[in-house]
Amino acid sequence: MDITIKNLTHLYHPNTPFERIALRDINLQIKSGSFVSVIGHTGSGKSTLVQHINGLLKPSRGEITVGDVTIKAREKAPRLKDLRKRVGLVFQYPEHQLFEETVEKDLCFGPMNFGLPLEEAKAKAHQALKLVGLPQDFLQRSPFDLSGGQMRRVAIAGVLAVEPEVIILDEPTAGLDPMGRRDILSLFERLHEEKAVTTIMVTHSMDDAAYYSDKVLVMDRGQVVMMDKPEHVFSDSKQLKQLGLDIPVTMNFLAKLNKKVHGQSVRPVFSIEETADAAIKMLRQGRGETGHV
Amino acid sequence: MGKIIEVNDLCFRYYEHDPWTIDSVSLFVNEGEWLSIIGHNGSGKSTLAKCLNGLLLPEEGSVKIGGLDTRDELAIWDIRRQVGMVFQNPDNQFVGTTVKDDVAFGMENHGIPRNDMIVRLDEALKLVQMEEYAAEEPHRLSGGQKQRVAIAGIIALSPSIIILDEATSMLDPQGRQEIIETMRYLNKENNITVLSITHDLEEAIYSDRMIVMNQGKVLREGLPSEIFKEAKMLEDIGLDLPFTVKMRQALSKLGVPLSENALLQEELVEELWTLQSKI
Repeated sequence: MDITIKNLTHLYHPNTPFERIALRDINLQIKSGSFVSVIGHTGSGKSTLVQHINGLLKPSRGEITVGDVTIKAREKAPRLKDLRKRVGLVFQYPEHQLFEETVEKDLCFGPMNFGLPLEEAKAKAHQALKLVGLPQDFLQRSPFDLSGGQMRRVAIAGVLAVEPEVIILDEPTAGLDPMGRRDILSLFERLHEEKAVTTIMVTHSMDDAAYYSDKVLVMDRGQVVMMDKPEHVFSDSKQLKQLGLDIPVTMNFLAKLNKKVHGQSVRPVFSIEETADAAIKMLRQGRGETGHV
Repeated sequence: MGKIIEVNDLCFRYYEHDPWTIDSVSLFVNEGEWLSIIGHNGSGKSTLAKCLNGLLLPEEGSVKIGGLDTRDELAIWDIRRQVGMVFQNPDNQFVGTTVKDDVAFGMENHGIPRNDMIVRLDEALKLVQMEEYAAEEPHRLSGGQKQRVAIAGIIALSPSIIILDEATSMLDPQGRQEIIETMRYLNKENNITVLSITHDLEEAIYSDRMIVMNQGKVLREGLPSEIFKEAKMLEDIGLDLPFTVKMRQALSKLGVPLSENALLQEELVEELWTLQSKI
C-alpha cells in the first residue's frame, strides 16, 4: 500500500491557549514494500507523524492517503477499521498492552476484533507466535509470567496475527538487551523481505536506521528535513549533529581513520564487513598504492 | 580509596517460593569509581540496583552503603540520601510542575531548610547546565534535559553514589551524550561514585570496572579490556560486543595482524595507522 501525505499539519489542543504545532506542512510518499526509518530528536514529531498512518490521529490540515483510504482534515474519516486491520502499529513498550489470561487469547484478540471466527483466529495466533520465534507451548501460558524480551515478542505477534500490510514500529527495541534487539530487528527484516510488508520504524539508533532501511526520514521541529537513501542522509554529519542526531558508528570510525591516514573519502557503508573492507582500502590508498581487497 | 558499597552473599526474590532473582551476589564498589553492570534482560541487574538503596531488602546476606546496613531502619533515610537513582523513562520521574519544583521535591522530602535549599537548587542546576531552564515546565524539555533535571534533584541532596538504571536507553543520541558527559563531570570533579546499569556497550567501555550478571549471579568482574576479550562468553549470555571489538575481529579475519588491546575507536585507528605499511 502506498502512503501519500499532502500538506499535513497537526495541532495539539487546537483553538485553546495550549495550541501547539506538532507537524508542519508535511509532504511525503512511502512506496509499498519499502523499509523507512524515521529519525529525529525527542519531540521532533516522529511518533505524531506515524500515528496518522493508521488513523489514530487526524490531520488538522491537509490529508493522508494510505492505499485507497484518504483521511482529510475537517472531514469525517472513512472506514478506519479496515485501515487499522491493514496497518499494524507497534507502540513503544508494547508489552504494557498485554492483557489476557493466556498468550493464545491475547493473540486471538486482534483477529477476532476484525471479524474472524475463533478457530481461524487461533490458526493466525499460532502462526504469529511461530513468526516471532516462540515455541507453541507458550500459547497456554500467562503473558505476565514471561521475561521482558518474550513479552515484547508476544505483543508484536499480536499485531502480526492480523497480517497487516504495513507495520509501524515506534522504537521497537527500546530497553531490550543486545540479543533481544537483534532478534526483533531481524524478524522485521525477514517480514519485509519475504512478505514485502511495508515497514516504518521510528528509532533513536542511527546504526539501525542506516543498516535496515531503504530510505531514512529525518524530522526536526515537526518538519521533514530530509528523506533519502541512508547513504545520502548519513553523508552530512554536520547537519545531523545540528539536529541532535549523529552518523552511524561505522562511518564515524572510517572518518577517524581517514583523518589519521589521509586516505580518500569512501562511500558510506553500514555493515561491519563492508567497513573492514573500506578500512583496508583506505589504509592502502593512504600509503599511495591502489590495492584490491 | 575505600569501599563505598559492599554486598555480601546477597540473596533476594520477589515471592517466597520463586527461585532467587539475586543469587549469592558479593561485590564491592570503590569510592569515586565508575562501575558498569551489564547483563541480558532478566539477569537481575535492576533488582540488584534496588537493593543498593534499600528499595528492596536482602532476604539473605547484606548490603552496606558507606558502612550502613540497608536493613537498619534508622539508617535507611541516610542511605537513600547517599544513593540517588536515575531510572529509564524521563517522563515517569518528573514530579514537579517546573524544573525548580522538581529539583526541590527531594530536598523537601528530606527536610532541608529553605535557605539552604535555594543555594543547593542553584548549584545543582548549574552542575547539570540547566540553570536557564529553572522556570520551565517539563513538556518543554527534551528527554535528555529531563534526565539532567532528575540528576540535579539527586545532586541537591549531596549524594555519594548515583545509580543509572538504563538512564540513557530512551534518549536520542544527543540526549545520551548529554547525560554521559554530565555524569563524567560529576564523577571526576565531585568524586561521585557512579554505578551504571546499561545495555550500551559503547558506554561501558569507558568505565573503570565492569560486572557481568547472568541469572542473578555475578558471572565476571574486571576491566572493560578484560571483559570484552571474552567474546564467546558475552554472546552466549545474549550480549553483544562493542563496535571496536567487532571491527577488530573482522579486520583480523582479513589478515590484518592486530593485537587484542584496542577498545576505543581511537586506539584501533592508532594501531591500524602503525600497521599501515604491512597491509
